[in-house]
Amino acid sequence: MGKTFNPKITAFLCKWCSYTGADLAGTSRLQYPTAIIPIKVMCSSRVDPVFLIRAFLKGADGVLIGGCHPGDCHYESGNYHTRRRFAILQSIFDSLNLEKDRLRLSWISASEGPKFARVCNEFTDKIQKMGPNPTRKNMFI
Amino acid sequence: MSTDSKSGGRIPIENGIEQTLRKVLKESLKSDLIDALLLPVKVPSGDSYAWILMQDPALVEEEASPMAAVMPVQGAKALKSLTRKGNGSLRVAAMMRPCEVRGTIELSKLNQINLDNVTLISYDCPGALPLSDMSDAPQDTEEAFMGLLSERNFESTAVKPVCQFCTEFSMGAADVHIGMADPDTSQLLLISGSEKGTAFLSATGLKVDEEPSAWEKQTDSIQKKRIQQMDKAFQTIQPMVEGFDNLADTFSNCIGCHNCQSACPICYCRQCYSDSKESSLESAYYLDKAEKRGGISLPHDRLMFHVGRLSHMSLSCVSCGQCTDACPVSIPVAKVFSYVAAQTQQAFEYKAGKTAGEAIPLKEYKEDELKKIHEMTKSAESQESPHE
Amino acid sequence: MSKMLTTDHGADKSVVDLLRFLLDTEKVSGVLTLRKTNTSGSLDYGLLTRSQELDRAVPLMPVMPANAAQSLSLITPTQKPIAVVVKPCELRGFVERIKREQGSLDNVLTLSPTCGGVIPLDTYIKKSKDNLTKDYYKQVKAGEIPESIRPTCKACEYFVPMTADITVSVVGEQNLDSKCRFILNSDKAVSMTEGFGSVENGDLDAKILDDHLKKREKEKKALFESIKFKQDGLDGMIDVFGKCIGCHGCSRVCPICYCLLCDFESRNFDQNVSLFEKELEQKGALRLPPDTLFFHLGRMSHMSFSCVGCGQCTDVCPADIPVASVFKKIGENTAALFDYVPGKDVNEDIPVLVFKEEEFKELGE
Repeated sequence: MGKTFNPKITAFLCKWCSYTGADLAGTSRLQYPTAIIPIKVMCSSRVDPVFLIRAFLKGADGVLIGGCHPGDCHYESGNYHTRRRFAILQSIFDSLNLEKDRLRLSWISASEGPKFARVCNEFTDKIQKMGPNPTRKNMFI
Repeated sequence: MSTDSKSGGRIPIENGIEQTLRKVLKESLKSDLIDALLLPVKVPSGDSYAWILMQDPALVEEEASPMAAVMPVQGAKALKSLTRKGNGSLRVAAMMRPCEVRGTIELSKLNQINLDNVTLISYDCPGALPLSDMSDAPQDTEEAFMGLLSERNFESTAVKPVCQFCTEFSMGAADVHIGMADPDTSQLLLISGSEKGTAFLSATGLKVDEEPSAWEKQTDSIQKKRIQQMDKAFQTIQPMVEGFDNLADTFSNCIGCHNCQSACPICYCRQCYSDSKESSLESAYYLDKAEKRGGISLPHDRLMFHVGRLSHMSLSCVSCGQCTDACPVSIPVAKVFSYVAAQTQQAFEYKAGKTAGEAIPLKEYKEDELKKIHEMTKSAESQESPHE
Repeated sequence: MSKMLTTDHGADKSVVDLLRFLLDTEKVSGVLTLRKTNTSGSLDYGLLTRSQELDRAVPLMPVMPANAAQSLSLITPTQKPIAVVVKPCELRGFVERIKREQGSLDNVLTLSPTCGGVIPLDTYIKKSKDNLTKDYYKQVKAGEIPESIRPTCKACEYFVPMTADITVSVVGEQNLDSKCRFILNSDKAVSMTEGFGSVENGDLDAKILDDHLKKREKEKKALFESIKFKQDGLDGMIDVFGKCIGCHGCSRVCPICYCLLCDFESRNFDQNVSLFEKELEQKGALRLPPDTLFFHLGRMSHMSFSCVGCGQCTDVCPADIPVASVFKKIGENTAALFDYVPGKDVNEDIPVLVFKEEEFKELGE
């Protein structure tokens, strides 16, 4: 069709760290791609792997979870659980030969506005190279 | 069949029935009457079909199998998933078997489907082949079904058992019906069943001015044979279900998976009572019960599940046979349900899904109905000591 | 060295005798065992309280009408002692359920055979049962893998029960028709069987089981090879699961999927027509009912690490999808992340409930 590819990246961001980090990136006037569609969650562990699967199957080109650094969780251990679930999901994607690189987990604290912008830029670049998620076009999903 | 005068139109069959049909459907999509079509499409592995809602005319022409050999998912369920939460602006035409149309009508009465923007297309159905045939030998199964259609064979014994004695194989509440039983095999007969249907047909550029009397005669004669088949079948089913021991024996292989219920178009509950907390009791209860009887069977209440389901949905059973297709232990569920449903529906002179207007029998009552029950209560009362 | 009890009867009869002994001596109030419910060989699990009810019991019948873990959840916790005869994967399934607060092993005496595998339901119902079991036992006695069993059974490495109080030696037992060896793995087993027969030191034959394990491992490799997904994973997924009819029978018969209302049948993922319309606009075509792959991938993410590979899901699939083979493979990989073996230890938490600070450092950046 000759259309340029505008990736869409669903980002589940923890309210206390990563979302605040995104805010900081904004107030600091740091550029990050419009591909990122942030969804605020109370804790990264609120993100059932099923949310990621859903975003992936509904055509998100990339899915990002942003949480507090290990040890810094507002609820003490939420992000450790997130990490285990992410490992499970990655393993499933790996076993099924699905593109696990479309999933990303990042620890971004409230003060890391520049890191948030960097992660978003990097991830968007990577997804740009990967091309559109094949789930976008598949009618049998 | 019904005595209303119907009108239809014809188009010549070119490159087979399905291809001709695809062309008609494609035309409807090009008109400004229909936004999307809901049609079966063969899955990539080639051994089943999926319901696909499509907007692309090329897809209709290349991929759709409007008359699928098997019925993996009852069409009513597909439509339900689309309009369960209400109606949008999307105008959809769906091509279904008559039993799927009936299932759809029942679900619309149960507020699970909104038909405002839906045009239903059905066809004289020779019956669906068992789902397992398609898994085992996809190509043979497809060819076999196409054979039935092109030969206008409505007496095949290869189709699902309940299909062999289905008397509602022809036009029901659909807006458009394709007269596959019509004696003229060189043309496709399309009949309008409603204003929506007439609009649909005229949108495809078809002249609808013919009274399809030859088709009516033909469907009448097929129906007579099917009624005979039904009588015969019911005679064999009766001993399978009458009396507790026979009923228990018929369901003796049941493993309690409830596939029959989840494949059923009528059972729309997200959580069946029998899968709910309410249906199981404290753990100690089971051993207590076992001690009273010497033993109990687990998983619990397997027979009650079937009888309970009959009590909940048999009035709306459309005898589509999905339950049998889904049963992993080959219980003839559909035969039993069909047999019982015929009787429960008869009690209210109701035919599930036949007409759109009627409410389901449990939604209303008449004061002077069900005389038999009235008599039963009367005779029970007369045996009691008089009041006062 | 474990304690061992040997009888002079065939295995099936010996197990029934033991159950009868337990009931008659009132050491237990009830027993859970497979039994025939009619002359044509239909099977169910009977929770039996009178010893004469045991006449139709076939505790070792190599068929699994339902994974008994589900029924065990129904009848436990129990104040009164019961004895249950279940297959190793049923026991493992129950252990996984207990970790999810779906039952208890308190007051339960567990008997489990070294398992030769189970015959698929469809085969059992349709074929001549006598020939089936005759051929089955011929191969089991020889320590071979029976041809007729479920694909996931052939590939099962955990045919020796992990947590049973009493192990019934079946695999590789040449004299299965004339004698039976019970291995008593717990003090409970020793005290409960006291008076049933003489106890000596003894154990399962490690060499025979080891040889058998090698055969199973070979089968497992072959099974996993056979379900290799194509290079493009999505197409591979659709190739396998594309014909799913969405009945969710696989989750209902799964011993791990204990939710009364599955997430994927709840309202959680319902869509308004407007959302379908938007998707349709983007894709040109979409499947109804939606979420075919979503269900299977979601289920994998929720339960795969606890999958015991019992194969019940494949048996009930009306679309003949090899659900169990796929889930077994996925499950092995997800469980391996945590060195977890589902059903091995009732005191071990399921991986998603716990964590270690020092793990998966490579994840997240």
